[in-house]
Amino acid sequence: MVNLLQNENMKIYRRLRTWILVGLMVAFVILVNTMEWHFDGKKAMDDGWKVTVKQEIQQWNRALKQPNLPDENKKYYEQQIAVNNYHLEKDIRSTDGTMWDGINGSAGLMIVITIFTIIIVGDVVAGEFSSGTIKLLLIRPASRAKILLSKYISVLMFGILLLLVLFVVSIAINGILYGFKYIDLPLIKMNTEGEIVEKSMILNLWKTYMYNGVSTVIYVTMAFMISSAFRSSSMAIGFSIGALFAGNIVMELLQRFDWSKYVLFANIDLTQYLVGSRPFQEGMTFSFSVGVLVVYFLIFNVISWLIFTRRDVAA
Amino acid sequence: MSSEPIISLVNVTKKIGKATIIDDLTFDVPQGEIFGFLGPNGAGKTTTIRMIVGLMSITKGKILIKGKNIKSEFEQAIRHVGAIVESPEMYKYLTGYQNLVHYARMVEGVSKERIDEVVSLVKLENRIHDKVSKYSLGMRQRLGVAQALLHRPSLLILDEPTNGLDPAGIRELRDYLRHLTRTEGITVIVSSHLLSEMELMCDRVAILQRGKLINVMPIQQFIQGNDQSQSYLIQATPPEQALSVVRQIDGIQGVNLTQDGLLEVNADKELIPDILEELMKNHIRIYSVQLVSQSLEDRFLEITGVEQIG
Repeated sequence: MVNLLQNENMKIYRRLRTWILVGLMVAFVILVNTMEWHFDGKKAMDDGWKVTVKQEIQQWNRALKQPNLPDENKKYYEQQIAVNNYHLEKDIRSTDGTMWDGINGSAGLMIVITIFTIIIVGDVVAGEFSSGTIKLLLIRPASRAKILLSKYISVLMFGILLLLVLFVVSIAINGILYGFKYIDLPLIKMNTEGEIVEKSMILNLWKTYMYNGVSTVIYVTMAFMISSAFRSSSMAIGFSIGALFAGNIVMELLQRFDWSKYVLFANIDLTQYLVGSRPFQEGMTFSFSVGVLVVYFLIFNVISWLIFTRRDVAA
Repeated sequence: MSSEPIISLVNVTKKIGKATIIDDLTFDVPQGEIFGFLGPNGAGKTTTIRMIVGLMSITKGKILIKGKNIKSEFEQAIRHVGAIVESPEMYKYLTGYQNLVHYARMVEGVSKERIDEVVSLVKLENRIHDKVSKYSLGMRQRLGVAQALLHRPSLLILDEPTNGLDPAGIRELRDYLRHLTRTEGITVIVSSHLLSEMELMCDRVAILQRGKLINVMPIQQFIQGNDQSQSYLIQATPPEQALSVVRQIDGIQGVNLTQDGLLEVNADKELIPDILEELMKNHIRIYSVQLVSQSLEDRFLEITGVEQIG
């Protein structure tokens, strides 16, 4: 199995295409962060954060006075006010105008990771068929299931590589732009008991990565299934990236139907359960979505496996 | 050496939808033999080979390689097989050496030394660290042979192995296959549409047509054919009279006049003196008698075609 994984990795990293994608990833992170810093971040770099924090408190106070405010929103505003007051009392900076502002914002670039990983995964099975190499690959003493699994794992590893690139480059570039002074800045938040606590910023960042990573894994698994089922890399890449962008639009059209909460795209974005935003349909919970995603994940993988291990290779 | 066959096919049938692609193939290949698949395009040569190496499922029947069922004991069975299925497509973006490392990792017990050994065997030492995309067709073919031999298989399967090889390359491959069967007792199954090549390479041939096994015979028998239906050209004057005389002889399978005025007779060899005697009795002047030796292509068409015409 380790040998098979080595093989799949060799086939990914001995290609120029892979390194172009990695290079593009680096370039994107640098470009987006530099622009962000240039247009926004520079202004907030000194003591400007106090003004912003105070302004936010005023804003939320005003919002609290609104009539008919749902309990959920009220609780959220009150929490935020408490957190901001803590910042002012203890003189702990908010992330505004520090490297963390850029680093946390860069987590949004995980969509690029999803796209690039789909590009690799789309070709990982289909490419063997279109080049004819599948024939020499499958006549070895290794079961088709193991070969398929090693391909899947190698692609997920590529996604992790891109995530590490995002992590390292976003820290480096934001450190260069904003200075590394606040690298040990804590994250101030309210825990479930209502106490204000100081948490590690890096841990929080990885938590965000993991939340977003779930959708990456699901899209990649879907592309992997299409790649194995239709043996067409363009179809796998096109359909998956299309779904990535069109999923939300389709869901808006489907929202009035009750069953739409079982559709993949209604559940794929787990950040909808973070405080302050409303889920796609009433009654959907975090565990409901995780359950739905697990079912889709298993279905995709079972289909890939069934088709890949049984199909006649006539290419 | 054991008398157990290296590979046996038992009632192997392949259906795709309602169409029967391969119909009830049964044959054994013993150790050390070079066994050929002959048949026109679409006869099922490639399908049979794909079933042997596990690329295609078997609808009915079974294939045993060294006693291991390719379906239920795939990993143990395929371990003994090295193959090129159609053209040997390699990873073009990898070097030849990386390709071999790739395949070596998939089998137990292929050392670095063995890779080097195989590389020198196919004479690719100078180019093995170049990308396969820069290889000529012949070099790719040789790399294909190298990957098939890497794990010292007992059974080597080559589908159209000489495609893209120049005559020297073909000869080299042929000599090498002979060498392998003699020194290592390796068994080879080749398919080819080039009859002359099969003649020089194979010990026995299986003739396939429309998914059915027409015959399995030693190559010599295939070439010589059965002596019963030879055809002879007789130059005799006057031809029309000769024709009518020959027609009346018992045991003649067929006789007709060619455009050149020659008599074409299909008959048993033993009947020829009788025919000549009869002609002379009728005062017909005989100038020459010639055995028409069939080309391999004719033999092939005869074996595969006779039944459908007749």
